Amino acid sequence: MRDIADGRADNSTLVKPRMKVAMGIKHRRSNLLPYLLVLPILLYEGVFIISPIVQGIYGSFTSLELASNKPQVWVGLANYARMFDDPEFWQSLKVTLIFTSLVIIIALGAGLLTALLFNRPFRFRPAARALLMIPWAFPEVPVVMIFIWILNPQFGVINVLARLIPGVNENPQWLQVPELAMAWVVLIASWKAFPFYSLVMLAALQSVSQELYDAAKVDGANTFQLFRNITMPGIATTLELLVVLASIFSLKQFSIIFLMTGGGPVGATETIVMRIYNAAFRFYDYSYAAAMGVAGFLISLIIAIVFIILQARRAKEYA
Amino acid sequence: MMTTSALLSPKSKLRQTIGSVLLYLAIIFVTLVTIFPVYWMIVATLQPNKYTLHYPPPLFPQEIIFSQFGELFGRHPVANWLKNSFLIAAMSMLLCTLLTVMGAYALSSLRWRGRSLFGLFLLVTQMLPEVLVLIPLYIMYSRLELLNQLPTLAVVDVAFALPVCIWILKGVFDSVPTEVLDAALVDGCSELSTAWRIVLPLSTPGLVAVAVVAFFAGWNEYLYASIMLGSTELMPASVGLTTLKGLSGVQVEQYMAAGLVFSILPVLFYLSMQRYIISGLTAGAVKG
Repeated sequence: MRDIADGRADNSTLVKPRMKVAMGIKHRRSNLLPYLLVLPILLYEGVFIISPIVQGIYGSFTSLELASNKPQVWVGLANYARMFDDPEFWQSLKVTLIFTSLVIIIALGAGLLTALLFNRPFRFRPAARALLMIPWAFPEVPVVMIFIWILNPQFGVINVLARLIPGVNENPQWLQVPELAMAWVVLIASWKAFPFYSLVMLAALQSVSQELYDAAKVDGANTFQLFRNITMPGIATTLELLVVLASIFSLKQFSIIFLMTGGGPVGATETIVMRIYNAAFRFYDYSYAAAMGVAGFLISLIIAIVFIILQARRAKEYA
Repeated sequence: MMTTSALLSPKSKLRQTIGSVLLYLAIIFVTLVTIFPVYWMIVATLQPNKYTLHYPPPLFPQEIIFSQFGELFGRHPVANWLKNSFLIAAMSMLLCTLLTVMGAYALSSLRWRGRSLFGLFLLVTQMLPEVLVLIPLYIMYSRLELLNQLPTLAVVDVAFALPVCIWILKGVFDSVPTEVLDAALVDGCSELSTAWRIVLPLSTPGLVAVAVVAFFAGWNEYLYASIMLGSTELMPASVGLTTLKGLSGVQVEQYMAAGLVFSILPVLFYLSMQRYIISGLTAGAVKG
């Protein structure tokens, strides 16, 4: 044993790293261990995620009433027919699209802006960065508590700002007006999410070669040209990836919307996820909720596939 | 850098100064706007509510009191809520960390057929909205009479936290140099003892990050807790907080104090582990 180890140590400068990796792989191939390690995880996720999804798909073709003891009956595509004719379903897709697009624009915009600011060296940068990350680290329930208080029509501090706008003479009912409610849900979700995007973009910005900037400056490029021709191409793949991630996170968003507005007023903030929840747990319309769940599943599957493709492309680029 | 600044004319020096003043102003503005809601929660917690329930509200605390914390814990079952949250979180943490170590080791250090498929599987499960799984799982739980139990809720929280945790630890395992692994194998270590004696000790920060994510996944979780735990005795703090406003005699400063108490631990731990958590949330695509 000893000589082999010593011999290896002596050769280590001669053997290329890649060859060593190859030796390692050969040694570790073909046994049962990885499958034994992974099996419990597959079973676990199978029981708690995959099988409920499959049951949901099955349930969407049936009629099920939990409260009564009626047996589950096969109804074919009836739930789907109802879904396609249901203006509220289409409305919830529209709301989802609006919510997601606005969060992408605002959260990624704020993320990029702060990343550009924080990419410059300045005093107290570590402290300022830690402060900036706090919204992201805050749990959702207390976030909602804060904002409901800030938006309180009687005492909310936001009214002080709103009253500065000419023509606003009384405190608005922030969560009762459909457009305002949507705006706030978007702003709160963006406030909570943008530090995450900011930090990821900051990492991307710092990986853009400083030499490129120096060379361009020598050639007389101005700040805008530097941004357009060096910064943007340098972080483009990261931005793409974040757009997809942001749409996944927004699609999943539940607690903030649920606790702020419950989907209201009059469905103005009822995203597909909220609609599914309300159908199942407010109207006990399980089978119909299951059909909408399948629609939601397909949407998230498509976004997930886009993410996987982008990630594979990115991995190739960085290899 | 020195030479260029020496060559600058006074005019461009002035421009540089203005530029850095503007930069500082922008940074201060952005930071203040970002942090304001949290500041506002702290103000509403610390000052007596006669200042808070006043319009326009004062921007700075007028007087600081601490009696609200005692009143909160004395009059409302907050301590019990926090205990339930802690139990759910601790169970999630133990189970999730165990499964994560297994999955991350297989995904990072071993070469096997189906490995990338396993990665894809994790990615897809990670990206599904929790609500989609809620209805069938709720039906299954009610049929098997598993509702209203803390462990069965913790087990569900783990299912959603597991993919992120595996990505976090995979990234950390990846950074253990292959030379070290090969040396161990050459020295006659089996794969399992390599994992146990070399990879795990070298990955302690990653393990801590996984434990943090799994713990606070259980601590913060609201949706499943609100549906699967019906009894007030078992209510965790995330759900309890939302009922607090409806309880009689809860003052604003007690309400906000409850939110603050609930948030302190997740904020501190998330901030200290942010690099790892971000790499997990992006499925390893980005190292924060």
